Amino acid sequence: MRLLAIQSLVGVAGCVGVLSAPALWAQTKGDPEIGAGIAARVCVACHAEDGTSPMPNTPRLASQHATYLVKQMKDYRAGRRTSEVMGNYIGGLSEEEIPHVAAYYAAQEAIPGVVTDPSVLKLGRRVYVDGNPGSGIPACSGCHGDEGEGTRRFPRLAGQDVGYTLEQMRLYAAGERTNDRGLMQTVADRMSEAETLAVAQYIASLMVLDAEEE
Amino acid sequence: MMTRLACLGSLALVLVADIASASPPAQPYAPGIESPGYVWNAPNEEQMIALAHRADPANGEEAYAVCRGCHQADGSGRGDAIYPQLAGQHASVLIKQMVDVRAGRRDNPKMHPFVAEWVVSSEEVADIAAYLSQLPIPPTNLKGDGTALARGQALYEKDCAACHGAQGEGDGAEFYPRVAHQHVSYLDRESKLIRDGGRRNANPEMVKAIKGYSDADIAAVSDYMSRLPVESRPE
Repeated sequence: MRLLAIQSLVGVAGCVGVLSAPALWAQTKGDPEIGAGIAARVCVACHAEDGTSPMPNTPRLASQHATYLVKQMKDYRAGRRTSEVMGNYIGGLSEEEIPHVAAYYAAQEAIPGVVTDPSVLKLGRRVYVDGNPGSGIPACSGCHGDEGEGTRRFPRLAGQDVGYTLEQMRLYAAGERTNDRGLMQTVADRMSEAETLAVAQYIASLMVLDAEEE
Repeated sequence: MMTRLACLGSLALVLVADIASASPPAQPYAPGIESPGYVWNAPNEEQMIALAHRADPANGEEAYAVCRGCHQADGSGRGDAIYPQLAGQHASVLIKQMVDVRAGRRDNPKMHPFVAEWVVSSEEVADIAAYLSQLPIPPTNLKGDGTALARGQALYEKDCAACHGAQGEGDGAEFYPRVAHQHVSYLDRESKLIRDGGRRNANPEMVKAIKGYSDADIAAVSDYMSRLPVESRPE
C-alpha cells in the first residue's frame, strides 16, 4: 500500500513536478517529459503509453527502475541483450535519448499484474521468500525485495507479465540472455520447471495482493 | 577511431562469450591443503587489496543484496539450510573466506556465482565485510540437542579456546573466526570438512588439533560453541 502511495507520488511528480523534480532527474540523468515524446515515437506500439501493455510476453515498464531500463536499452543497442522484436525498434533510439525514455517509464504508475494460475502461488511464495537451499536457489526477495520492488541495482518484478517472466527465465537458463553477470543464469538453471512457473505467478500476484489490502 | 576500435573489441568479446559459455564460468581451482607446500593464509594480492581498502559499510549494505537471498537481511543465516550466520563476524575473517571462495581455495560452487569477481569487486568484498561485522549478532540460532555439553566444553577448552578464544570470540587480527553462537549445523559440517581434508583452505594447526575427533566429539563441541554467549562479541 505504501508502495502504491509512493508510486502515485512519483506519478504526480511526473505530471506536475517540473520544478520539484530536478533531484530525481539528476539521479537518472533523464527528463520524463522529453522521454514521453520519444516513447510516443518508438515504444508505445508495444509497451503502451503508460508502460502497462496487455500484450502477451511484453514486459511492463511502468515504475521500473530507471537504472535498469537504461542498462537494458544500452545492452540491446550494443548487442549484449538480443530480442527479435526489440531489435527492430532499438535502433530508433539514440544513446542520448535512452535516459529520457527510462525516466518516463519509471515515472508511470504500475498496475496489478494478472495471475493466470492461482493454484501455484503458495509454492511461488515459498521459493520467492525462502529459495531452495537443496539446489542452491537464493530467495528472490534477497535482491528483488520482499514486495518485488527492486532497487537501483536489481529490477522491480511486482506485477510483471507471467509470459514475459517465463520467457526471460528460459533465456537465462539456456544461456541466451547473458547480460546479468551470471546471477540469473545461475538461478534459472537451478530452478525446476514447477518452481519457475510458480514464481512467475507469484511475481504477478505481488501487486494484486497490494491492491486487495487497500 | 579509438571508439570504433573499442566497439569492435567489445563486440568480439560478446561473440567469444556467446560461443564459449552458455552459463557463467564455474568456480576456479586454486591449490590448498591437499597440495605440497601449502601455507595457510599465505599473502595474496586480492586479500591485500581488500584489507587495505578503506571500507564503506553503507556501500557494503547495498552490495550485500546478492548475499541476502541466503544469508538473510540481518546476516543471521539459516541453521536449517547450513547457511552460516555472518552478522558480528570479524571483517578480516569474512574477507579471507570470500577471497578464498573467489580464488577457489575454498570449494563452494553453490555460492561462487554470487560472490564472483564479475559480481562483487575486491573493494566491495571489504565493504560487505565491514557492514556485516558491525551488525548485531542475532539473538536466536540453531543449537544442538544439548546432550553432551560437558564433553563439548572439555574439548573446546583443551583444543579450541587457545585460538578461538575462551568465549568463542575469535581473533580478527589472526583471521580466526568467531565461533560463539554460530549455527550448530554449520560448525558441525565445517569441522568435519576440516578434519577430513575437504575444507581446502583450513589451518593445518586446526586439522592437527581435531584429527582424532569422532563425529560425536565434533557434534558435542559444535553444540557447545553454538551456545557460547552473544556478549562475547569483541569491541
